[in-house]
Formats: sequence, C-alpha cells, structure tokens
Amino acid sequence: MVIVATEASTKRLSAPERRTSLITAAKTLFAAKGFHGVSIDEIVNSVGVSPAILYRHFKSKDELYDAVLQDFACQRESYVDTIVNSAADFETILRGITRVFIDSIVSQPDLLKIEMYSLLEGHESHSDFFLNRWKTFTDYIEFSLNELQSKGRLSNIDSKASALMYQGMLREVLLLKCLQPSEHLKDYTLQELLDKMISQFVNSLDLN
Amino acid sequence: MSSFDSELDAKGLNCPLPILRAKKAIAGLASGQTLKIEATDPGSVKDFEAFCKQTGNELVSSAEEGGNFIFFIKKS
Repeated sequence: MVIVATEASTKRLSAPERRTSLITAAKTLFAAKGFHGVSIDEIVNSVGVSPAILYRHFKSKDELYDAVLQDFACQRESYVDTIVNSAADFETILRGITRVFIDSIVSQPDLLKIEMYSLLEGHESHSDFFLNRWKTFTDYIEFSLNELQSKGRLSNIDSKASALMYQGMLREVLLLKCLQPSEHLKDYTLQELLDKMISQFVNSLDLN
Repeated sequence: MSSFDSELDAKGLNCPLPILRAKKAIAGLASGQTLKIEATDPGSVKDFEAFCKQTGNELVSSAEEGGNFIFFIKKS
C-alpha cells in the first residue's frame, strides 16, 4: 500500500520537480555515506521511483553528484554586502566574509559532510568545487598580506602558509562545532569561538 | 565601449577580491569617470551587478571575451 501510494504521488510531480526530489534525496545520502557508499538503488528507493526514472534525468551517478554540487553552487554565498558595507581594513573584511561563509555552512551541513567524503574518496570534485570555495579565504589572506608587506605594515611572513593556517583553523572549528560537537568546547558558541580565533590570528600577524 | 579612465586587472582573483579592489579603485575616481575591470571568476558577473545596485554606480556594460569578463562601471 505504501509503495502504491508513493508511486501515485510521484506521478503527480512534473519533470523539474522530480529532478529536484532526486537531487534532494541524493544530497542527504551522499552526505551520510559519501559518493562511493551510495548506490543508484538506494537513491531511487528513497524517492520511491524506478532506476529508469532516475536515468531519464541523469545519465549516471556522477552526473547526479555534479547536479548536487551545482545545487549548492547556486546558493553561493555573496560577499558583496560585506565588502560594500564594511570598512576596508583587513580584519573587518576577514571577520565579515568568515561570518557569511559560516552562516552558509550552518544552514546546509550536508555540504560540509560531502566535502569530507570527497577528500577521503579523492573525488575530482574536491579541486573543482570545494577548493574553489576555500579560495575565498586563502586568496583574500594571501593577497592582503602581500599588499600589507609591500606597504611595510607587516614583517616578512609567508602569506601562503598564513592563509593555509587560517583555513585549517576555520575547518577544525566547523568540524568540532557542526559535525562532531566536542564536550571540551561546549562552553563556547560557534560565533564566540570564531571571534576568538580570528582575534588570535590577527594579533599573531602583529600589523603596524 | 572602449573609453575608460582607470583600469583594474582582477584576473585570477576569486570573490571577494575583485569587488574589494573595485571598491578601492572607484573611491579614487571622480564622479562620472569610468573604471574598466577584467576578471576571470564567473561569479563576478552577479557580484558586480549586485555591487552597482548597492553602491548606486552605473554598470555601463558587462561582457565575456575569450573567457574573461569585462565590466565598465561609471562612478555616480
């Protein structure tokens, strides 16, 4: 009865609605089990359709995975507000873009899980999609620190290593607050932890 | 569109850098002057539309040429 009811209801979906329902289901499954841990059968069973219907929308599991990432990409964070409305100093902008990025991760935790799996699985999406998201920070920090050095406001540090350090700290905070809540950090909210972390990072640069 | 008063090379830079550099470059222009920006980040198309909408500067043109995105922004 349940299956019949599901099939009856699935027939009412238009093609775009069906495509969206497949992407939504795949997103949850890829986040829980990674790309290799999910079969086409699992995806179609979770939506209540046949594999033939899935293949009508996506030629392969790879294409469906790309569509999931594309769906995340469409919700790309906009840093324009932060740039237009804040002072142009290094720390203010760093805090602003970090906040936008964190809000985006918190609102779609599946993205962080899929990223972790893509790292472990060595999926090519890592360089194409996830590294590109982190480049927001690494590029901004690297470029800004080089600029500050050229103005004599910063001693001779390695800007690339500094950018990587920031990315590492940010990713660890996200893992410990969003994916695997740590008892050790329970007294801090995510925002408090980030504020302290950014302050320590900026202080360590010793800008003059 | 080929007339401009200042030029910004934002090729190879990811958001938010093109926007940040454009904001600084426009701050150095007089009202009515035009900044030409070249970028490679596909997201810059939407970003510069939003930037002009928020700042009141005019996005005179936005085009793609050989994989680069070219913007002309006139300061309000």
